[in-house]
Amino acid sequence: MPNDIRPIAIAAIAAAMAAAAPVGARADDDGVLKIGAPLALTGGLADEGKKQQDVWNLWLDKVKEAGGISVGGEMLPVEFVEYDYQTEGNRAGQLAEKLITDDGVDVLMAPFGSGHTKIVSAVAERYQVPLIACVSSSEAVFDQGFDYLFGTLAPNAGVVDSITAYLKDKMPELKSIAIYGRDDVFPKSMAASAQAAAEAAGIEVVYNELYSVGTMDHAAAISAIKAADPDWIYMTGYTQDLILGRKQMADLDAEAPAITMITGPAYREFTDGLGPLANGVSSATWWHHATNFTDGVGVWPTTQDFYKDFLDRFGSDPDYVHASCAAAAEALVSAVTEAGSTDKAAVRDALAKTDIMTFYGPIKFGENGMNQAREMPIIQVQDEAIKVLYPPVIANAELELIE
Amino acid sequence: MDVGQILANGIVLGALYACIAVGFSLVWGVLNVINMLHGSFIILGGYLTYFAWAYSGINPVVFLPVVALILYGLGFAVQYLFINKVVSAPVLTTLTLTFGLDMILYNVMTVVFTATPRRITLDLGSVDFFGVILPVDRVVGMALALILTGLLYAVMRTSKIGRAIVAVRMDRQAAELMGIRVNRIYAITFGIGALMAGAAGAVFAMVFPVTTNLTGAFLGKAFVICVIGGLGSVPGALVGGLALGIIESFSGYVLGPQHAITVGFVLMLILLVVRPTGLVGVKGYE
Repeated sequence: MPNDIRPIAIAAIAAAMAAAAPVGARADDDGVLKIGAPLALTGGLADEGKKQQDVWNLWLDKVKEAGGISVGGEMLPVEFVEYDYQTEGNRAGQLAEKLITDDGVDVLMAPFGSGHTKIVSAVAERYQVPLIACVSSSEAVFDQGFDYLFGTLAPNAGVVDSITAYLKDKMPELKSIAIYGRDDVFPKSMAASAQAAAEAAGIEVVYNELYSVGTMDHAAAISAIKAADPDWIYMTGYTQDLILGRKQMADLDAEAPAITMITGPAYREFTDGLGPLANGVSSATWWHHATNFTDGVGVWPTTQDFYKDFLDRFGSDPDYVHASCAAAAEALVSAVTEAGSTDKAAVRDALAKTDIMTFYGPIKFGENGMNQAREMPIIQVQDEAIKVLYPPVIANAELELIE
Repeated sequence: MDVGQILANGIVLGALYACIAVGFSLVWGVLNVINMLHGSFIILGGYLTYFAWAYSGINPVVFLPVVALILYGLGFAVQYLFINKVVSAPVLTTLTLTFGLDMILYNVMTVVFTATPRRITLDLGSVDFFGVILPVDRVVGMALALILTGLLYAVMRTSKIGRAIVAVRMDRQAAELMGIRVNRIYAITFGIGALMAGAAGAVFAMVFPVTTNLTGAFLGKAFVICVIGGLGSVPGALVGGLALGIIESFSGYVLGPQHAITVGFVLMLILLVVRPTGLVGVKGYE
């Protein structure tokens, strides 16, 4: 009996749809740049899927205001075609196929997370449709040898390396770490990266376990972490896991001078859900609105332009998911402009040569299609607000240890 | 290994699990309906409590009876208007109906509330009881869970409605011949199941993040607890919840947290083979 009964019924419906799916990509030269996006608008990743949808709507409105995008001297309208894949990975793949074969999209945007991106990437590669992933950072997704897959996030390892080096520098007494990660593609990868980074930095790993998807209680693991008495507790997972984990750490008095949660504090809802308990929790993230990139291509030349528009529309701060997905759209437009058409192979080649500056930062895809590593911000919750600790050029606070 | 702490963690968790399962068990046992709406009912109770607290600032425990009554009304209406039409059909029919209704409720909640995790940040701290740390909010949750479960047990044993429910559970035709309005009893039973889910949601909003993402997890837990404890029995849900909580707690500590859920499912499978009625289940009801 699986933990959630509903996917069985959904899988049966999805299987029937798959059996009826046509084969062969539809060639479509209809004078529109058609972008397809399977989104998790319901199910476990509904919140994350909504973020993608929101920011693409914001971006699309800006593009429409400008009359479309300039391609070969003409203004080309842009259209998004979205389907809710209900956080069912297989369904994401089936809907990607439908977007290509039925809707005739020119390019695909990947859904949230490395696991579902991996599924969709196989479909995109089969039909040779460019796919841009804006919320996938596991190298395992990009090391499949796919030519049509590109990603705007930098690799996981870079994120963990930077926070490990930072803490080691700021905490000379840092000798031990407890790693506790969700058994899911991205969080598991971030836990493995932490182990490698800690060992390379000479930090003893005193606890290293994974928890299952669907875990509703962390007391047993936290009791074991408490017994190991680490200097640094590092937990990965989705926001609801991390809120519960941090709460139970406080409940069971399992504290450490440094607590890092990947990527909890990068999301406003983490701090809202924890209140004062969020204070002191650090994280690394791919982007923060305190960065100040200028001279970018596209509808938002500067970080502040994007931040202001986002704040006006939604009344809250954007996080890295919003920024990375908006930047993915900018990278796509840049490639279409460069290619001079929506031809899939030409757009793919132009994406491979991308070397642009955006409000989100530089985008230059490496050999495996991932955005090349750059300095990523380290953040910490202080007084229930996000402070940037690193890099120094945008830092607005010093590390605070948890007492 | 700190056995006392691990046991305490398990008991507190187990009481919360019992609270999840008791309404589900009642509906399954009496109506022979696998209520796929149960997880969403819990989350709806959690949302109502959360927003009542967020807008009023009043202690969320105060809202528990109100939320429970709202869910009772919703459950009664769902059974009376929809499920009663097909309640005599094979279990797959009612399962499909409640599955469809759950999809509607789940998606409406996702649209209205969004799936953003929300939590009542009313952190009450912990107490140290002879070296065993007990989080106060979980202890309060456990106490409420036990009180609610006890109340339901008392209602089933002593009240006229309770005895009518038991009679319908034991023999629908005989109960009908005795003058019991079976469809009304079905609606009341489903309403009580929803009431217990709403009350559980109100308790959980103080302990867990409230998000529609958890509806499936709650439903899955309720199912496992019912099989372990025994279907259709209030003590069965309590025993099943406590057993699962304690087993998950010890296996999570000893075997690692990634195996805790698996061990619970293995126990369920073993019981299905060697004792299909569960640890304290009986063929009749009470």
